[in-house]
Amino acid sequence: MAKKVKSRMISVRLLSMAMTGFFYTFTRPRTSRPMSMLKYDPVVRKKVLFLEQKRRFK
Amino acid sequence: MAAVNMKYVELAKQLHPRLQRFLAKYPPDQILPTSTRTNTIKDGAKPNPFLPHKHPITGKWHDPEYSLRRQAELVKLAREEGVEELLPFTSKGTEERIRHRVEHGLKVRGTGVGQKVKGHLHERMLAARMEKRREAMLGMPKLVREWRKTGKSKWTKYPR
Repeated sequence: MAKKVKSRMISVRLLSMAMTGFFYTFTRPRTSRPMSMLKYDPVVRKKVLFLEQKRRFK
Repeated sequence: MAAVNMKYVELAKQLHPRLQRFLAKYPPDQILPTSTRTNTIKDGAKPNPFLPHKHPITGKWHDPEYSLRRQAELVKLAREEGVEELLPFTSKGTEERIRHRVEHGLKVRGTGVGQKVKGHLHERMLAARMEKRREAMLGMPKLVREWRKTGKSKWTKYPR
């Protein structure tokens, strides 16, 4: 049986570095580098650094 | 002396009939001359009609003469008339109730003296979580500076 094809795009979770547990979800190509950006965290009401969480599955 | 006594008798007659009957049946030591003490059992010990007591001969336990409901009613009447200290000890008495409330608190567990309300797990962890968040926010400018300096493409420190 043929191996299941991996999708080209993956959805990733960008976790707030303010340790609030708040996160954004984005889709990016599987082959690109992990995402990171400055974005608003509504819990601390400030722009903070968001970093991509390591993917649990696989 | 007789006149003073008559005054007290008149005052006593103004009490609620239920209180009068109770005090006649169980006269407190304060208003009783030592020579005429009644209903004594052994060694001058008097059974408290508000408490269960052990029969001195048969050794059986007898229920209180007055139910908790009637005790509470008597205490309420006595409190209104200002003669609560003439009643024997009862768990319905004002002082005892206050003492119990202070020691054991409300029905909510942990509200007494030296006790703590347990609370839900998220409530117990709240302080620790806020502390962690505060630390993270204090370190945020430094982290952002570092991240800007390194650049998106070379950044390797990703959270678990």
